[in-house]
Amino acid sequence: MKQKGLSLYSKIVISLFVVSFFVAASPAFSENKFKLKEGANAKLCLECHETIEKTLESSFVHFPVKDGECSGCHNPHTSNHGKLLVDDINSLCQKCHDDVMPEKARSIHKAVAEGNCVNCHDPHASNNKFMLLKKGNDLCFECHADLGDFIEKAEFRHEPVEKNKGCLNCHNPHASANFNFMLKNEVPSLCVKCHDTKNKPFASRHMGYPVGDSRCTSCHNAHGSNKRKIIFDDAHEPVARRECEKCHEASTSQTPLKPKKDGIELCRDCHGEMIDKVLKKNYTHWPLVDNIGCLNCHSPHATKQKKLLAGTIIDVCGKCHPDKVALQKISINNPENKTICEPVKEGNCIACHSSPHSSDSTLLIAEESMSFGSCNKCHEWQSHSMHPIGENVIDPRNKNRIVECLSCHRAGGTGNKPKMLHYDSVYTLCIQCHEEYKR
Amino acid sequence: MREVLIKLLIVPAATVLLFFMMFPATSYGAAPKIRHSISVYNDNAGENPRQLKRPGGVGCNDSFFIVADSGNGRLLQYTFRDGNVKTEAEFKLSQLMNPLKVEINSKGEIYALDGKQRRIVRLGPDGKFMGSIDPKGLPSPVAFVPRSFDIDMNDNIYVLDIFSSRVLVLNPEGEYQNQIKFPQGYGYFSDISVDFKGDILLLDSVQARVLSAKKHAASFSPLTESVRNLREHIRFPVNLTTDERGRIFLIDRNGGLIIVLGQDGSFLGQASSFGMKEGLLNYPSQACINTEGKVFIADTHNNRVQIFELLR
Repeated sequence: MKQKGLSLYSKIVISLFVVSFFVAASPAFSENKFKLKEGANAKLCLECHETIEKTLESSFVHFPVKDGECSGCHNPHTSNHGKLLVDDINSLCQKCHDDVMPEKARSIHKAVAEGNCVNCHDPHASNNKFMLLKKGNDLCFECHADLGDFIEKAEFRHEPVEKNKGCLNCHNPHASANFNFMLKNEVPSLCVKCHDTKNKPFASRHMGYPVGDSRCTSCHNAHGSNKRKIIFDDAHEPVARRECEKCHEASTSQTPLKPKKDGIELCRDCHGEMIDKVLKKNYTHWPLVDNIGCLNCHSPHATKQKKLLAGTIIDVCGKCHPDKVALQKISINNPENKTICEPVKEGNCIACHSSPHSSDSTLLIAEESMSFGSCNKCHEWQSHSMHPIGENVIDPRNKNRIVECLSCHRAGGTGNKPKMLHYDSVYTLCIQCHEEYKR
Repeated sequence: MREVLIKLLIVPAATVLLFFMMFPATSYGAAPKIRHSISVYNDNAGENPRQLKRPGGVGCNDSFFIVADSGNGRLLQYTFRDGNVKTEAEFKLSQLMNPLKVEINSKGEIYALDGKQRRIVRLGPDGKFMGSIDPKGLPSPVAFVPRSFDIDMNDNIYVLDIFSSRVLVLNPEGEYQNQIKFPQGYGYFSDISVDFKGDILLLDSVQARVLSAKKHAASFSPLTESVRNLREHIRFPVNLTTDERGRIFLIDRNGGLIIVLGQDGSFLGQASSFGMKEGLLNYPSQACINTEGKVFIADTHNNRVQIFELLR
């Protein structure tokens, strides 16, 4: 019986037709798009673009350039994109190099995410492999200058930072599918490739504690440090003195890595006086007295932050207060929002919430009043404006409130609202009290 | 044929429609309307009434309500009848220095969380100190820190113990009965409530989610997704309570909102917003709803307690 539908021959012909259509439409095969005369392709362009000809002498040349396919990326006539590119730079490179980034990357290099491939690569040619603009770490330190500076000044440097591929010994340049910071593997798997955690010297250096599976970067700065064994510069004193048993059970016990006590009780052994003082206040920052205690915000071992904070101030606070940080980010990223408190700009929450452990006032401020205590540190509110303000001025909206900074402004950032006001406009703010002027 | 169709389809449909028009509110998922009644600003003490200062809690029943006047380190007892608020008593105790959350049991005994000493203090209906909650026979770990608590209809006490990451269930005498461990992978639990069925609700302020454990259940499971996904202006809920229908009321401290959820966690509506005028909220801390549908809210940074009415 004869089958219905297309014959195998017809299917092959149609498939070939479809494939050849897409191949012909791709940028690499667009040489006939502009109906250039034979041999006129790159030759024609180079008649004017002489500098490119010199570039072609470089050791590494982008293959379309080598093949004279200038029109693969550029439109010789007109374009809506700079440099007469045929498409937005964000998507142009990806048309051929779509395998650079994993589909669901855990971490992505900012330049890649923004489509700024040319931050690192010369699109035509270069004397560096992969047409990189500079060799090795010099390229990375163009943007990561602080890190480069730190490594250069560090007394002890992590060997891979300087040898072989430099930064690329540990990091992927574009993205990492499964790991943070574009790392090639997670910590400690990445570290144990070079460091044998099974040998005796390793164990003795770690006072017999089985830290082979622990996170090395909780004590060591993977780039370098001024302390031997690249321990972070600001290490917790027992860590610096290698006194692990001060906080952990003995290395010979069944659970050697277990802390001796839970939460704040562990820290109380050394910081008792400070903790007693903190716990006498009216309002305790609740995480301080939960089962994690001080470690909600501080690192127990070492960190590059001051006061052993587990991250930048805004990162630490933002872990529990994402709503506040979201508004802060909107505030500072809005170019029209020109009047923003410096601490808000800097994400320095503790400039105002200066008593982050506990306080006799709500909102963890050191002073009784946010307005006349915290704001007053930077702003002379008495000379703010002609508007009555102060202890003796009652807020017409609420007889139990005085007119103060927070009557009009909200200190932690107010998203897109101007001048950190509670409301969308000055007018809306004013008519809250001055209803007679309501339009 | 046409008449048959009318009888079979249109008449029953019209009847059903009429029924829902007559009885729009069910006890399960009705969005309540909330109307502001009155605000309480001071202790009404003679010629020199003392203003409320940063009230951090309010507890209520059908006879009276108790305000934790935290900034003044005292509890105030009021009655609210026929639209009038009357101060009945002031309780100032050395054992309760910074009262925060307040609850009242069926005998009129007052329980208050002391923010300074991080313990739950128990007072008689007359305001006399009766001790603090110190449950004996706790399973390891023995140490506990109460972040919040609630009392069910049988006067059992449910303590949110943040030091040992669990909910402690105590009998009316404060003796240990049971514990339920906090689930893993959540943000930060700020409040606990027990509804009329005896189900326990937990509020995760960081993820803005509610979790629940059926009466006698051994663990919690999520009741809602993040309520921030429902309305983008919902910010940081810190308090939850339920009404006699089992509807859940969340108090959004940073957003000044009252968020109402159904028993199943569905979003029913919201009321109020941030502000200083009457009816608006500024860093509210606790809400309490009595069986008459009166909603008392400790409007902390407005230095007042506001009374609202549930209209349905």
